[in-house]
Amino acid sequence: MASSTSTLKLNLHLQQPNNRNPSSAQYSNLSWRRTLAISSLLCSTPSLITSKGDGKDRNLVVKCNAAATTAAVNLAPGTPVRPTSILVVGATGTLGRQIVRRALDEGYDVRCLVRPRPAPADFLRDWGATVVNADLSRPETIPATLVGIHTVIDCATGRPEEPIKTVDWEGKVALIQCAKAMGVQKYVFFSIHNCDKHPEVPLMEIKYCTEKFLNDSGLNHITIRLCGFMQGLIGQYAVPILEEKSVWGTDAPTRIAYMDTQDIARLTFIALRNENINRKLLTFAGPRAWTTQEVITLCERLAGQDANVTTVPVSILRFTRQLTRLFEWTSDVADRLAFSEVLSSDIVFSVPMTETYSLLGVDSKDVVSLEKYLQDYFTNILKKLKDLKAQSKQTDIFF
Amino acid sequence: MSGASAALIPATTTVRFSKKLEYHHPKWLSKVNDYSVSYHRIYCSSSIPSPPTSSSPNSGKDPKKNPTKKKKKDDPKETSVDSASQMVQQKEEDQELELASSVSVMKRLDEVNPVGLGRRSRQIFDEVWRKFSGLGQISRTTRSDDETDILIRDGGPMCEFAIPGAQNTVVLVVGATSRVGRIVVRKLMLRGYSVKALVRKADEGIVDLLPTSVEIVIGDVGDPETLKDAVEGCNKIIYCATARSTITGDLFRVDHMGVYNITKAFQDYNNKLAQLRAGKSSKSKLLIAKFKTEDSLHGWEVRQGTYFQDVVAAKYDGGMDAKFEFTESGEAVFSGFVFTRGGYVDLTKKLSLPLGSTLDRYEGLVFSLGGNGRSYVVILEAGPTGDMTQSKMYFSRISTKAGFCRVRVPFSSFRPVKPDDPPLDPFLVHTLTIRFEPRRQRSFEGVNGPNQDLRSFQLILEYVKALPTGQETDFILVSCTGSGIEPSRRDQVLKAKKAGEDSLRRSGLGYTIIRPGPLVEEPGGQRALIFDQGNRISQGISCADVADICVKALHDSTARNKSFDVCYEYVAEPGKELYELVAHLPDKANNYLTPALSVLEKNT
Repeated sequence: MASSTSTLKLNLHLQQPNNRNPSSAQYSNLSWRRTLAISSLLCSTPSLITSKGDGKDRNLVVKCNAAATTAAVNLAPGTPVRPTSILVVGATGTLGRQIVRRALDEGYDVRCLVRPRPAPADFLRDWGATVVNADLSRPETIPATLVGIHTVIDCATGRPEEPIKTVDWEGKVALIQCAKAMGVQKYVFFSIHNCDKHPEVPLMEIKYCTEKFLNDSGLNHITIRLCGFMQGLIGQYAVPILEEKSVWGTDAPTRIAYMDTQDIARLTFIALRNENINRKLLTFAGPRAWTTQEVITLCERLAGQDANVTTVPVSILRFTRQLTRLFEWTSDVADRLAFSEVLSSDIVFSVPMTETYSLLGVDSKDVVSLEKYLQDYFTNILKKLKDLKAQSKQTDIFF
Repeated sequence: MSGASAALIPATTTVRFSKKLEYHHPKWLSKVNDYSVSYHRIYCSSSIPSPPTSSSPNSGKDPKKNPTKKKKKDDPKETSVDSASQMVQQKEEDQELELASSVSVMKRLDEVNPVGLGRRSRQIFDEVWRKFSGLGQISRTTRSDDETDILIRDGGPMCEFAIPGAQNTVVLVVGATSRVGRIVVRKLMLRGYSVKALVRKADEGIVDLLPTSVEIVIGDVGDPETLKDAVEGCNKIIYCATARSTITGDLFRVDHMGVYNITKAFQDYNNKLAQLRAGKSSKSKLLIAKFKTEDSLHGWEVRQGTYFQDVVAAKYDGGMDAKFEFTESGEAVFSGFVFTRGGYVDLTKKLSLPLGSTLDRYEGLVFSLGGNGRSYVVILEAGPTGDMTQSKMYFSRISTKAGFCRVRVPFSSFRPVKPDDPPLDPFLVHTLTIRFEPRRQRSFEGVNGPNQDLRSFQLILEYVKALPTGQETDFILVSCTGSGIEPSRRDQVLKAKKAGEDSLRRSGLGYTIIRPGPLVEEPGGQRALIFDQGNRISQGISCADVADICVKALHDSTARNKSFDVCYEYVAEPGKELYELVAHLPDKANNYLTPALSVLEKNT
C-alpha cells in the first residue's frame, strides 16, 4: 500500500503545473528557459532546477527529486514485472512505429502511450500492440500507463504545431519522475546529435536538459542521440519529385548522416538487452553524411526525372527567424525555424560508428545506406504506379 | 450530380436552383440577376458546392418535375417566388438562344469569386510556408494517414517484414493466446497475412490481447463440430495450443485429438472445395492399395529371385519361401524366409490408378505396415505401359519399427537400379514391389532380443497411399521435446504429443513439426539456435524464436514434411558432441531457416 501512496504523492506534484498561471509563460527569446524555471514548480523542492552561471555556460542544473522516492520503489512484493513488457511513448511517430514493429516482432509485449484523439491509432492495435490513452502534457494521466512496465522507450517529440515545451520538457520530466517512482527498470531516451553544442535551438536544448535530468534521476537508462531519419526524406524530396511538384532545399553546407529508422530500432533493441550499455550515451549515425543538394541529386537520378528545385538561401531562413522572434505571436514559428542557426554553420551531423558497432556486435554491412534505401523506395513506388496504370486500363473494359 | 442535372434540364430546375442560391446569397443574386440564367447554372455546377441538405431534396424532385413541362408556369406560384427569381425565369425564356455569349461573362465573373480566390491563395501560402519552415526544422515529419497506408500497410518500402504472397494467405492460429501463439499472431499481422484466431471464449480480455483485424473464431479443438467454421477459407494452420494441465484427459483432448480434429476438418474443407471445382483436393492422399478384405489381396503376387547364381552354394542353401495371405484376424500378412545367399522374395502388383489420377501429382508413397523391425526395399518399375521391355527399376530402402508404423517414401528417394538410367518419373510408374532380402538386416531390441533369425520375416500390410505433392507446408505444429516437464508426467505428455504428431503425419497435409526445448519468455533473436533431429537437445528457447520459426516455415519448401528439435546453442558435454548440430543466429534480415533445415531429414 505504501507504493500506492507514493504514487498519489507523485500525482499531486505532477498536477501542480496545471494550476499555474499560464500567462506567466510568455514567449520571448529566453522564454523557454524561463519556462524551465517555471517548471521547477513541478518538483516539490524549489532547489531542483536553479539557474547558475551565465553566458555560454550551461545555465541549468537539473536535479530530480525522484531520487528521494527511491525508498518507495520495490515495496510491492506482488507479481514480478516481465522483462518483455515495454511502453513506447511516441509510438505513432516515424521512429516510434518502427520501434513498435521491431519490438512486436522480437516478442515483446508492447504498450503504446498515445494521446487521446478522435481518430485512434488503429494501426498499432492492428499490429498487436496495446494502446493506452494518456497525454504527457497532462501528467496525471501518466502513472496508470506505467503499471507493470519493465522498460520505457521514449521516442516522443512534440508536434511542430504545438508549443515545444509542453511535451518535450514538462511532459518528459513528469514521465521520468513517474517512471522512477514506479520502479521502471530501464528508460531509453532518444535525443539529438550535438544537442549539447546548440543551446540556441530550443528543441536541442530541451533534449540536452532532458538527458541531464534523466542522468540525475538515478533511473537505469540509455540515451541514444540520432542524426536524421531517411524516412523524413521521402516526404521532403522523393514524393514531391515523383509528383513533379517543387522541391524546397537550402544551400546549407551542413551534412547529415541519415539513418533508416528500422536500423535505429534494431540497434536500439540490441543495446537495450546489453547490460554493459546501461547509463551510456550512444550516438547512431548513418553510413555517410549528405547535404541537401546531394540528396536531391540522388532522388533525381533514381526517379529518372529532374526536380523543380527551389533553393532557399540559409540567410533568408535566418532572417525570417530573427523577424519572427520579434513578435510574441510568432515566437512558436521562431522556435521552429531555430534549426536554421545550425544549418548555417558548416557542421557535419555524423559520428564514426565503428566503436558503436563493435560495442553492439553489429556488422556495419547490415546498416542500410541512403542510396540503397532510396533505390528500394523508388523501385517499389515506380512499380506500384505502373501496376496502378495497368489496372486503370483494365477497368476501361465493359461487358 | 446537381451540376449535370442543372445543365441538362431547362427552365424549372434552373429556377429552383436560383431560389436556393438566393437563400444562401441574397445579395449576390439581386446584383447578378441582370446576367443570364446560365450564370446560375455554372455557378451551381462548379464554383460553390451547395450544401448537401439543400441539393439532395432537389435532386430527388427533379425527375418528377421534368416530364411535366406544363406545370412550369404553376410551379413558381406554388413555391412563392419573389421578384428576383421571376425575373430570372423570364430572362431565361427570352435569352435561351444567347447562352453562348453569356458563358464568357459568367466565366470571368467566376474567376473573380473572392471566396475561392482567398481560399486558393491561402492554400498556396500555407503550402509555401510549410515547406519553407520545414527547411529550418530538425527533421520532423508529420505524415498523413494515406501516406502511411502506402508506406506501411500495403507492403510498401517501409515494410521490412512484408513477405510476397502474404496478402493472399489466410492463416489459422490455434491457441492464439498461448505464449507462442500470441507472438505468432503479431508476427503474421506485421507481415501482412490475414489471420484467423481460434479461441475458446471471446472474452473481453482475450479479444484485447489480439490485434483488431484478426478474425476471431470461437471453437474448441476437442469439439470437431466447432472447427468447421474455423478452417473455412484458411490456407495454412499454425497449431500452438497445448493442454493447460498434465491431466491425461486434457492431454488427450488437446494435444492428441485436437490435432487430429483440426487436420480432419481442414482436409474435409479442402475436399469440399475440390468438389465444388468438380475435382479432387490436391491435398488429399490417393489410395493405391488397402488390405481390408480377402479380395484386396487379388493382383498381388509373390516371386522369388537371387541376385547372383552360385550353383555350388545353392545346393546347400535352405532355399526360400514366402506367402501372402489374409489371416483370420483380418490382417494381410506377407511372411516367409530367405535362407539362400543373395536371395530375395518380392510382393508385387501392377498398379491400377483411378481414372484421371497420375502419380506425378504426388510426391511419395506412405505405407502403413507392421514390419517387425525388418527393413524392406520398395521397387517401382516405370516405363511406357505398352512396352514392358523398356521398363526401368527404381528402389528405395525402408526400415520398420516393432509394431505398426507409417513409413513415408518420397519419390525423390528412389534411385535407379542401373546407375545410368534417368531419375524416376512418377508419371510412368506401373508396378509396385515390396522386397525382402536378408542382407543388411539389423536386429532390433524386441521381445526376442538378439536371438532373432534375421532371415525370416513377417510383414503386416494395412494400406499404401500416395502423398499429395506441394511446395509448402500446410500445417505447423508446435510440439515439445519433453525436457522441462515434471518427470512424473513426462511420459503421458510425450505420448499425447506424439499421438498428435502422428495424426498430422498421417493426414497427408504438408507438415512441419517443431519441438522446442523448454520455452523461455524473453525477446527473440538474441542467441544462436540449434536445429536437430533425434531428441538430443538440452537447452531452452525463447517463445519469440519459436514463433519466428513458425512464421518463416510457412513459405519455406525445406520445412515441408519435417520434424525437428530446436533450442538455444550450447556446448555439448565432452564425449557427447553431436556433429550434425547446426547453429544459426536468427535475424530478420537473413533466412536462417532454409540452410538449417535443408540438412535435416524429410518425412520424419
